[in-house]
Amino acid sequence: MTTPTDALDPVRAELLRTARASADAVLGRARADAQKVLAEAREAAEAVLARARELGAADGADAAGRERTRAVQDAWAAELAARAEAYAELRARIREGVRRALARGAVPQDRLAAAARALLGPQARVTGAAGGGVTAEVPGRRVDLSADTLADRALNRLGARAETLWGPP
Amino acid sequence: MSGPADIEYTGVRELRGPLVVVEGVSGVGWDEFATIGLDSGERRHGLVLEVDRDLAVVQVLEDTAGMDRSGTRVAFSGSPLRIPVGPGWLGRVCDGRGEPADGGPPVLGGAFAAVGGAPVNPVHREPPTEPVLTGVGAVDVLTTLVRGQKLPVFSAAGLPHLELAVQIAAQATCGGEPFAVVFAGMGLTHADAAFVRDGLAERSAARDLVLFLNTADDPVIERLLTPRLALTVAEDLAFTRGRHVLVVMTDMTAYSEALREVSAARGEIPARRAYPGYLYSDLASLYERCGRIRGRPGSVTVLPVLTMPAGDITHPVPDLTGYITEGQIVLSAEAYGAGTYPPVDPLASLSRLMRKGTGAGRTRADHPAVAAQLIAALARSRQVRELADLIGRQALSPTDLGHLDLEDAFRARFLAQDTRENRPLEEALDRAWEVLLTLPDSQLGMLPADLLAAHRHPRGEAPP
Repeated sequence: MTTPTDALDPVRAELLRTARASADAVLGRARADAQKVLAEAREAAEAVLARARELGAADGADAAGRERTRAVQDAWAAELAARAEAYAELRARIREGVRRALARGAVPQDRLAAAARALLGPQARVTGAAGGGVTAEVPGRRVDLSADTLADRALNRLGARAETLWGPP
Repeated sequence: MSGPADIEYTGVRELRGPLVVVEGVSGVGWDEFATIGLDSGERRHGLVLEVDRDLAVVQVLEDTAGMDRSGTRVAFSGSPLRIPVGPGWLGRVCDGRGEPADGGPPVLGGAFAAVGGAPVNPVHREPPTEPVLTGVGAVDVLTTLVRGQKLPVFSAAGLPHLELAVQIAAQATCGGEPFAVVFAGMGLTHADAAFVRDGLAERSAARDLVLFLNTADDPVIERLLTPRLALTVAEDLAFTRGRHVLVVMTDMTAYSEALREVSAARGEIPARRAYPGYLYSDLASLYERCGRIRGRPGSVTVLPVLTMPAGDITHPVPDLTGYITEGQIVLSAEAYGAGTYPPVDPLASLSRLMRKGTGAGRTRADHPAVAAQLIAALARSRQVRELADLIGRQALSPTDLGHLDLEDAFRARFLAQDTRENRPLEEALDRAWEVLLTLPDSQLGMLPADLLAAHRHPRGEAPP
């Protein structure tokens, strides 16, 4: 017994074929779209990566620049600190030298007292200063000719010549 | 600093706020510098504010805290403050009265100069001719700073004037010639002072910079000395050592407020907004110390920065500054609000000496024309914007619409710049061209036709 043929079979077959063709087309388009999206994504990723590399390089260069500046600054700060130390040492030695000189009478105490009286008048009360030299006073005025003050004044007068401590003479 | 004089006065009649009233003095003059010794061995410094017979009023720079009448000795130097000058200042960071703040020894110099200085004799002035390039496109192209010029920055609270001042101080150059920057910060907060130190670290490390930092909590009298110290150091670096020196002074409003405070302490009659009547001449005594001197190398260029209280350009400080200086760079709150840095308002800004420092052989041959055309186009752009507010954008002609878009292009392509970007003049001018070429040729009548054609169709490209 033969299976009766359905008159709609060709229609079904045609519909199936059209549907498959359509599905294939949709699939093809989807694949093409996917390829395109993928390519675009790859391109975008490449661009992002390139930009990131650029930014990274710039950041790196910045950081290196900052580090270099910091190093130069630190070196300069250390040099300044050393200069300050040398200057303080010079001051201490000058004070010590003036004290020693006054102690051994390089400038007689009388001459300092006379210098003080010349500034303040004969009625000035002159007293010896600790460490050498004198101070003199009248009410409202005072003159300091102590060893340390004389030494500091001499150092101030030295001015830029003190720079020979750390620079070429 | 000047050394202590021989006679010390011990008759302190009164200690009042920052003032010491000394009695029994003789031969003491107004503005004389004084050294104050304390029993503890500490030394402070002061300036004579007032002398009347045997009384002298001394304002103590470090304040009178911890002083007592019996243990205070005041020695007068016999002259206003003098400081050592020389290259020893380069690379140093000092407080507002020139004392080292960087851990180094005192700044030493081969010669001394009075900080009061003297303005340049007008007969000996050389006219400015060369630019100082700042690396800030808006300044270099539109308000070019010229060597020997005084060009203030007018700003308002909340605007990035300190960032701009630091950027200019960090980047400025004089075409490879010996150059130095002296930065005088006045009334800065500690955060701002740290920002300035960090921003200028590189220049300081290169020994091209002298930094004076007077902070907001430092005594006001010191603030009056800070710009004078800066200018004295700058004058020596320029006219004796042959460097071109840029002096950045910020904030001149803080300086003027210090002047007002000291004036009140002196009991002077107040003038406009309680500033002393001599505010104009005092500001001029600072600004006029810039310039070039015939027969001497170097130049002193001054860039004062001032904040206009409540943005008021008629306030005495910007008002009087404007009378003395040669133009101004105005910062705009509106541009800053739109997120633009530096928020320079091109239409309110002007460098009166720009013509003398730009063009062929100085900057670039097309510079003056490009700057003039850009300003003209922006002025038209602003008019069109006002028109559009009235009649609506759709009623504008295509040319007007082009102008309307020009301002956005100007801000985005030309004005906007990173605070650390040192933009070469060539690039800044090319960006100006880029903005201008968004307009049709018919709207660019201030540019020579051949120049316009060369930029419209570069590299021999044929016109369509």
